[in-house]
Amino acid sequence: MFNLFERRLAPLDSPSVVIASTLGSIVLALAIGAFLFIPFGTNPLLAYFSLFESSLGSLRGFGMTLNRAAPLILVALGTCVAWRAGFGFLGFEGCMTIGAAAAAWFALVGVSEDGQGILLPALLFWPAMLAVAFAAGGIWAGSVGVLRTRYGGNEVLISLMMNYVAIFLVQYLVSGPMRASGSLPQTDRFPTESWLATIIPGTRAHAGILIAVGAAFLVWLLISRMRVGFELVVTGLSPLAARYSGIDVGRRYLLAAVGAGGLGALAGLVEVLGTQHRLMDGLSGGLGFIGIVVALLAKLNPLLIVPVALLYAALSVGADALQRSTGVPSSIIFILQSLIVLFVMASDFIRYWRPRLPRFGAAIVQEER
Amino acid sequence: MFDDFAFSAFVVTWLAAGIRLAGPLLLAALGEIYAERSGVLNVGIEGTILLGALGAYLVTYATGSPWLGVFGAVAAGVISNLFLAWMYVTVMANQVVVGVVFNIFALGLASYFYRIVLGTSGNPELIPMIGSISIPGLSDLPILGPILFSQSALFYVSIVIVLIAEFVLLRTRFGLNVRAVGENPRAAANAGISVVGIRYICVLLSGAGAGAAGGYLVLAQIGLFRDTMVVGQGFIALAIVIFGRWRPIYAALAAFAFGATDALQLSLQLFSFDVAPQLLLSLPYVFTVIAVSGLIGKTAQPAALMEPYRDR
Amino acid sequence: MLPAVELRGIVKRFANVLANDHASLSVLPGEVHALLGENGAGKSTLMQVLYGSYHADGGEILLDGSPVHFANQRAAIHAGIGMIHQDFMLVRPFTVAENVVLGLDGELQLYEEKRGILDLAGASRRIEELSTHHGLQVDAGARIEHLPVGVQQRVEILKLLYRNARILILDEPTAVLTPQETAKLLETLRSLAAEGRSIIIVTHKLHEIIEVADRVTIMRDGKTVATVAKEDTTEAELARLMVGRDVLLRVRKSPLKRGATLLTTQGLKVNDDRGEEAVSGIDLSVNAGEIVGIAGVDGNGQSQLVEALAGLRPVMGGQISMEGTDITHGTPACRKACGIAYVPADRRGVGSVGTLSIEDNSVLCNLGAFTGKFGVFRDRARSRSHARDLVARFGVKAPDIRFPAGKLSGGNLQKMILGREIMQQPKLLIVEQPTRGLDVGAIEGVWAELLKVRDSGQGILLVSAELEEIRNLADRILVIFEGRFMGELRPEDADDETIGLMMAGRSGKTRTMTHV
Repeated sequence: MFNLFERRLAPLDSPSVVIASTLGSIVLALAIGAFLFIPFGTNPLLAYFSLFESSLGSLRGFGMTLNRAAPLILVALGTCVAWRAGFGFLGFEGCMTIGAAAAAWFALVGVSEDGQGILLPALLFWPAMLAVAFAAGGIWAGSVGVLRTRYGGNEVLISLMMNYVAIFLVQYLVSGPMRASGSLPQTDRFPTESWLATIIPGTRAHAGILIAVGAAFLVWLLISRMRVGFELVVTGLSPLAARYSGIDVGRRYLLAAVGAGGLGALAGLVEVLGTQHRLMDGLSGGLGFIGIVVALLAKLNPLLIVPVALLYAALSVGADALQRSTGVPSSIIFILQSLIVLFVMASDFIRYWRPRLPRFGAAIVQEER
Repeated sequence: MFDDFAFSAFVVTWLAAGIRLAGPLLLAALGEIYAERSGVLNVGIEGTILLGALGAYLVTYATGSPWLGVFGAVAAGVISNLFLAWMYVTVMANQVVVGVVFNIFALGLASYFYRIVLGTSGNPELIPMIGSISIPGLSDLPILGPILFSQSALFYVSIVIVLIAEFVLLRTRFGLNVRAVGENPRAAANAGISVVGIRYICVLLSGAGAGAAGGYLVLAQIGLFRDTMVVGQGFIALAIVIFGRWRPIYAALAAFAFGATDALQLSLQLFSFDVAPQLLLSLPYVFTVIAVSGLIGKTAQPAALMEPYRDR
Repeated sequence: MLPAVELRGIVKRFANVLANDHASLSVLPGEVHALLGENGAGKSTLMQVLYGSYHADGGEILLDGSPVHFANQRAAIHAGIGMIHQDFMLVRPFTVAENVVLGLDGELQLYEEKRGILDLAGASRRIEELSTHHGLQVDAGARIEHLPVGVQQRVEILKLLYRNARILILDEPTAVLTPQETAKLLETLRSLAAEGRSIIIVTHKLHEIIEVADRVTIMRDGKTVATVAKEDTTEAELARLMVGRDVLLRVRKSPLKRGATLLTTQGLKVNDDRGEEAVSGIDLSVNAGEIVGIAGVDGNGQSQLVEALAGLRPVMGGQISMEGTDITHGTPACRKACGIAYVPADRRGVGSVGTLSIEDNSVLCNLGAFTGKFGVFRDRARSRSHARDLVARFGVKAPDIRFPAGKLSGGNLQKMILGREIMQQPKLLIVEQPTRGLDVGAIEGVWAELLKVRDSGQGILLVSAELEEIRNLADRILVIFEGRFMGELRPEDADDETIGLMMAGRSGKTRTMTHV
């Protein structure tokens, strides 16, 4: 390989090259993914068609895509906040779980004695609900931030491990303290007032997508318009320069951790109040990692995150439908979704290296002599 | 509380299980030590373990020989890490990002191929496993015998590998080169060492270790394959590397400590203690958090860890 | 005599510069050959080509008259070439012996080892022999990180001798040495040349060349402009060849108008990154309107001192006050509020953020002044006009203010950082190695700006390893050695010998000055 390629003098970094390599990666991943359908006797083109047909082709499917996109957007936004500040947080599975548990707790506590209706008026209930979930996730992830800034712990590993701790914690809650009567380890169904409202009649699309898009706007405002956002970005790019210029680096990491955890928790809230309406085990289902992948593909840009998340959500809703109709396992979607990002990263190779051509340099020197 | 006999029975079951559970962690950590000593943080070992487990299962399923299964596990680990090495070393992508995304990819790939080969329905078939070996004489020792000397053959192999890994890292040319590349790649390059070459080899070694760990899971612990069987063992191996201060022997001790924590839950349940099993299950992870939190002393990692090396 | 090594018409291109433009060099056996040139003239690149680190885009290398091609450093080492880089290529946690034998396997193996198993005992023995033979004392079992720089350099030389290198390249070998250590090194090099080895010294220091070299090749803008024998030239001629015009040697300074005391420290103690004491009880005061220069060899605590003053490093003992206010434990932001500005030595790593635009960098240290009413949102209109002012006033050459700061040349980046700090109108400006790595034109510019700041009644604390700079700018000179001041000098008393002895740790003839 080292003889076939040589390093470019300067990397190709014009926007068009970046866009082309991203689109090329998506196409290439889908092309490779096509082979995955063959053992199941499915025509890949038809499979892709029916995949997108079922997720985007009907209002009902689109509603499901929106529902799937909402938590992805929120996790991706959390990734954006954390990673742009240089905080290598990977604990979104845990934050989602914790956020869902907090939302479930609040939804269940908020019920009046007779089990009918909620105690707070809706105008207060929803802000309080969002605040409770955000705070729970913020504290969960913030503790990782404290370990990193105070004690120099490794946030990558700590946050990975905290995922499992959170999952076991919720398993414990739904099989013990919060368990409803019945055979399954799960809580009671929440009162309908605490469900996220349906926003498109005739579909299951709920208000989660509104929360997600609103959050995307706020994160964009934070990163590109606000002073503290600029400080986060400087911290992420160069902690030394940030400290030198008077930014309190530790506090910025902590802020990023809390923000990321809070956004991750909102993703959990959206899942539990929008789709499942009760707390049970195994809620995040890998969304906490796919959300990171979405953020990477969107180059950590809060506004790009929304369309990328929609694409990923469409892929995954479509794959579920495909599994039901043809038996192609929906796990191919993990392959497709990760391949896209791996190819985007690998395409940097082409931006930095070029095929080695016969050496003209030597010949030129000869002539000049 | 309990009498002497029950206590020693508890300790024996617990520690024997701890050592059994430590095996995969140990193998994965050994490979990772080489990768990290050469300056590459290979987070992808989580996915590699899964692919190794799949490789071991499929090869054993097809051939009926668990030892060929070990070979299949190592091969799956090495081949998949060839891609990772290319991403880490040649493309110079962010190592954590590549590892995390690769783990998702491996999860998809493992469950896809498993479905293909075995069909969508039906229960997974058990495959032949690698049996335990009771070392004559030693296995009859009280307490120590059942704990240490009646383990799977793979366990003894792993112990030998620990000793070899320690010796190679600290006493040989290759080990010196690896350590130099991880501490100061430019200095190593200027002394005539191929940084790229060493890093490729080390990532492939970590692939072999993680693949073998997957094989260990399937062939010495469970006897079947599930796409949920790895659940963070690769990440725990990363913590073991830190805990073991990047030294194979210390890592072995750390792996046993982690294995014992994990086994505590099984043993306590077996002896019907009234503790919520989920809280016990989370112990190894809590333990890891504490281990890497920086609360109990920091150790110097290889100076060039996670830093891609650009030559020319 | 056939040259031991010859470079012919070497061309080396980087992204936006032609680093070597048909550069040629020929070195005889037993010769000490100096490669002279300013920073950025292409000396290091040329040597990296010879050492196999870079592939030339054109030209050829001949060893003893026959052409060779080095695919990598390994091939060059195999051919008997050894190089000591400016920043030493030693693995810090390794012992001396481990560093010396590093990479000597395969075709580079010198002594028999069984199946790749290290023989450090044998290596240590041979190192001891070599070091007694050449008078380079080292302890083969010591770890590099515990050795002073001077000893580390001995290790680097021993590394080459162990490999029996015939051609020794030393890149700026004296940058981190005291004048006395330098003299010792040059003596060693002469004796190595007398054994028939060829020595190439890469440097920009004229007087060293005059002391040691047989011949000098001068590089300018990537070209080798001349090769002259030492007897046939003078320091002035070499300087002119190097720069391409007559060098400015003195600056005009207006008379000192010393104002009120700004910064004082008492018994200041600061640790380095490894937790060892780097600054051991320093008393310092800087007044308005003066430049206080701190001279010293790199690594004697001056970096830790200024970092503590800027609030970037915790103070372990003693006191810092600014205009009578105690700021010993204040944050960097608090230092700024007291009117202290700081231009760090590491321009790219600390002083700026490379991927951000000039505009973003121009407000970096003063974000509060560029926000809207409530301090929440940034006021981009104001920061844009500020950046334009900065670029215009300090002559930063850049296409526009959206240009990434990391792509500026060293000189332009320094102008931007210096300008940014000066435009905050601090009472005290701390500058560390302000002209390191800059070409002569940029140096003149930076010096002029610093003098303007002084003349407008602000105080400056200047830390520099360049004696020329300290002598030209400072009103008082403090010499630092191992975390202590060895004494205070007036610039006119700071001749090479006096200051050199103080830099090496002997307190000189201190002349205490009385000031208001």
